[in-house]
Amino acid sequence: MAKKMKFEVKRPTLTAISYLLPLIVASGLLIAIGNLAGGNVAESLDGMSFPDMLTTVGVFGMGLIPSFIGGYIAYAIADRPGLAPGFLMGQIASFLGTGFLGGLIGGLVAGYIALALENYLKVPKWAQALMPMMIIPTLTTIVAGTVMLFVLGYPVVAVTQALNDFIVGLDQSAKLLYGFIIGFIGCIDYGGAISKVPNLICDGLLADGIYGPEGIKVLCAMVPPFGVTGAWLLSKAFHKPIFNKEEVENIKVAFPMGCCMISEGVIPIAMNDLARTVASTSIGCGVCGAISFFFDNGSAVPSGGVFVIPAMSQPLVAVIALLVGSTITAFMLVAIKKRLPDEDVEGTSVKEEEEVDLSGLSFS
Amino acid sequence: MKVVGICACCSGIAHTYMAREALLQAGAALGHEVHFETQGTIGVEDELTPEQIADADAVLLAVDVHVEGTDRFEGKKTMKIPTDLAIKAPKAVLKKMEEELAKA
Repeated sequence: MAKKMKFEVKRPTLTAISYLLPLIVASGLLIAIGNLAGGNVAESLDGMSFPDMLTTVGVFGMGLIPSFIGGYIAYAIADRPGLAPGFLMGQIASFLGTGFLGGLIGGLVAGYIALALENYLKVPKWAQALMPMMIIPTLTTIVAGTVMLFVLGYPVVAVTQALNDFIVGLDQSAKLLYGFIIGFIGCIDYGGAISKVPNLICDGLLADGIYGPEGIKVLCAMVPPFGVTGAWLLSKAFHKPIFNKEEVENIKVAFPMGCCMISEGVIPIAMNDLARTVASTSIGCGVCGAISFFFDNGSAVPSGGVFVIPAMSQPLVAVIALLVGSTITAFMLVAIKKRLPDEDVEGTSVKEEEEVDLSGLSFS
Repeated sequence: MKVVGICACCSGIAHTYMAREALLQAGAALGHEVHFETQGTIGVEDELTPEQIADADAVLLAVDVHVEGTDRFEGKKTMKIPTDLAIKAPKAVLKKMEEELAKA
């Protein structure tokens, strides 16, 4: 069955991120634990200590980021035959020093070339078995490799360099602004599709050795869960009930998840009162990001939550940014969320369906 | 109406399972027989059986990412939506499927 040739970027990118996340989380923690235990990147097996091993393997993981991005983007577009060429485009991106942007573009190029070959390259029956195993991967790699190195190579390097120079060259007031923006968008849907975009850019900058945005990303992922937890405590102190029993149970789960930098625990709470919750958490995240970036805090570790704060470049700034952001979120929630009537406090949320326009949906 | 489908979101730890839960509840409330498998970070859970797929009138993919095994649904009427729509308005989605089935 011929697959549709429809150009899309979002779905393949999200697919790549979903495969990328465990890699980043695991390698990030390895680097964090290794560094804290005094490990360094080892050049050879001679004299390698256990902390050295952790750090070294974590850095190997970071080196796989461009390949994961390229490989799984191509896989999402062209299925299995796209995977190998996509991984190779990631290697090209690493070679060019264009980490994530190179991987992204390489994955798209390889994916669509592989898909086009699947659809339009007609071979005799005896050669069909060779298509996914040999013909598509080889031809795709040759064509996409040529495009990546000889056509897009210099432009991608130039854009990456310009982006990196831009971030590095920001002055203090600009850092305040961009720190706020990265934080604000970075957790706007609690780890959902929108926030993955700035977060991916932060990971990309990290791969290029720029740590400030990554620090924002790590801290801001914890602000929403910490903020709602704070709001729950404050609501008790002020005798203004704003969460019902079910939501309180969710907060008790969201907090430990938040410590590990998983903001998704806030989603069930936010869903019941979307606008107010998102406004409170996003502003808290923005402030947290602005403080962190302004005082030059950075994180060489992309994930791990509170456990990587000691490994950040300015751990004290990180703690202050996190606490200030979370406190702002907590106070905002208590201030703008409606007081629950007594009979609702014990109950669970009544889930009413939102009005949605489904006229565009049909079978395919 | 009998519906089978897949739920899969980007991180594969939250929306995936919320979408499945919402669709199962909506299906039960509306009296449809619905089965959904999840493809989260952990891998495939509640995998659809060949019988469930064979019996289904239609397929609903509540997915934000590339999912595996869509070839099992070849020849079936398939509708694709993002996971957040399944969470927001599962009943409306199932009703819409019923309408579209009646038209076809």
